[in-house]
Amino acid sequence: MSEETYDALVIGGGIAGIESALTLADMGFKVLLVEKEPSIGGKMALLSKVFPTLDCASCISTPKMASAYHHPNITLKVYTEVLEIYKQGEGNFEVLIREKPKYVDPQACTACTLCEKACPVIVPDEFQFGLRGRKAIYIPFDIAVPKKAVLDIKNCIFCGQCERVCPTGAINFLDEPKEYKVKVHSIILATGYKLFDPLKKPEFKFGQFKNVITSMQMERLLSPTSPYEGILKPKDGGEPMKIAYFLCAGSRDLKLNYPLCSQVCCMYSIKQAQLLLGALPLADVYIFYIDIRAFGKGYEEFYQQAKAMGVNFIKGQPSLLDEKSDGTVVVTYWDSNDNQFKVDEFDLVVLSVGLWPNGDIAKVFKNAKLELDEYGWIKRIDENGNPVKTSIEGVFVAGTASGPKDIPETIIEANAAASQAAKYIIKYKR
Amino acid sequence: MVLSEKKELTVFTYKKLKGIKMPPKELVEKVRKATIIQNKIKAAIINSPKTVPEIAKETGLDTHVILWYVATLLRYGLVEKVEKTDEGYWKYIWKGR
Ligand SMILES: Cc1cc2nc3c(=O)[nH]c(=O)nc-3n(C[C@H](O)[C@H](O)[C@H](O)COP(=O)(O)OP(=O)(O)OC[C@H]3O[C@@H](n4cnc5c(N)ncnc54)[C@H](O)[C@@H]3O)c2cc1C
Ligand code: SF4
Ligand code: SF4
Repeated sequence: MSEETYDALVIGGGIAGIESALTLADMGFKVLLVEKEPSIGGKMALLSKVFPTLDCASCISTPKMASAYHHPNITLKVYTEVLEIYKQGEGNFEVLIREKPKYVDPQACTACTLCEKACPVIVPDEFQFGLRGRKAIYIPFDIAVPKKAVLDIKNCIFCGQCERVCPTGAINFLDEPKEYKVKVHSIILATGYKLFDPLKKPEFKFGQFKNVITSMQMERLLSPTSPYEGILKPKDGGEPMKIAYFLCAGSRDLKLNYPLCSQVCCMYSIKQAQLLLGALPLADVYIFYIDIRAFGKGYEEFYQQAKAMGVNFIKGQPSLLDEKSDGTVVVTYWDSNDNQFKVDEFDLVVLSVGLWPNGDIAKVFKNAKLELDEYGWIKRIDENGNPVKTSIEGVFVAGTASGPKDIPETIIEANAAASQAAKYIIKYKR
Repeated sequence: MVLSEKKELTVFTYKKLKGIKMPPKELVEKVRKATIIQNKIKAAIINSPKTVPEIAKETGLDTHVILWYVATLLRYGLVEKVEKTDEGYWKYIWKGR
């Protein structure tokens, strides 16, 4: 078991973790960046465009992902989990890490995709949020970094086809999990958020009505690497002409004991509505809302722009969903302006799912307590004075790991966490 | 290691080491079903392009199942989009072997 020392451990390779790692690495610190999935990039790598500028999301994230991968001061471990962290005095953490077996030698894999094509097993593709399938051996997504195949042993039937066709002999079923102990001087938690699971609200009929999808699925449909190569209704492959958005799906919901606003759903729905009108000029888009929260720079103008483009905003909440045999969704809703129930039909319903906490990382701290807030987000111990400070000295938090936020705020916070970590490392590094 | 240096496929060594005689039944059954669906889609569009509802009609399968497989086959280059109908449905043709 090898034991190496790094100035900082960054847990989570979404945009927050990548940004923190790059900033520290550019300052000359040695960083270990750990990501549990087979690629870095987090949710941002799967978005279409970003509000309010409508810049292409991958044009922003891909260069950062590539820089983190190639940076001489960053050691990147994907498909890797942190199992245990022990604080052994200021500036001194011992970390137990487990690299999951990929059954593919990343040095030898050229991402030729021959193995994928040969594999007979098809399972739902998690990176396309189930909209299509992937093989048991697969490259996570088009802009994955590293772009290497990984073999999902749980779904493998051991036919050996992948191994037979691989031109570089990269496939190795004898790969084993690897456990390492490392020493680090500081830690940045950038473990992000979980998407609200719409199955928690059966009234949305998600999974039951095929033309009810989530906003993250719509991000995939709107992206240049759309799983359908366009925007189509999952029910029958036709283009949707009338699309409804339900804002605050899984946010501000007392029935779910979750009163928090997810801060980005209004804006990303307005973004998607504008993109839909660009892609499907004859379509009608309706947004059902409690109230529109357009608080950032340029956000109110972005909202007004959507109205001017013809997006229909309806202050009201859907109360009942029904389905016709052709997949059309019949929506009964309360119109707060007219104070009455109304009924309308839509080809596609998009649930603007909220950002939910991912506090799982707290349990790896074995001899110090990482505090979470009452909803499960990593607690900012000095909310106003030092918002990246956690309950453990030397452990900082960046991005949506401490609560919902958009990408610009995530990036600002990632840099703040990096600068706080740098200060701490310099003070305590022995 | 290059392929020529390998003595036995590692998948066989793995199976021996783990005592795996057969893969799980449910998984094999899933693969069997998926293969049947893909073959039905292939038969429906090998000679003339069709929309998802047209493929569904010919194969007797649900439209959403057809779209899911067509999207998967698009990814692996086995199916291609040809043209869009006036009703907004793409026609697909088989491109694989
Ligand atoms: C549908 C939708 C559209 C959006 N559109 C926009 C937009 O247009 N503009 C905008 O500004 N914002 C948008 N957002 C918000 C945006 O997604 C977030 O602001 C941003 O992605 C947050 O990045 P992050 O790195 O904090 O979190 P994440 O992207 O969640 O990254 C966290 C990373 O940590 C990894 N991880 C988690 N736990 C562990 C662990 N224990 N060990 C190792 N790795 C771990 C995860 O796998 C992931 O890669 C949108 C959100 C949604 C849901
Ligand atoms: S066939 Fe081999 S080299 Fe090609 S993607 Fe698969 S593992 Fe990588
Ligand atoms: S051995 Fe497993 S991963 Fe490889 S082709 Fe067969 S089923 Fe797919």
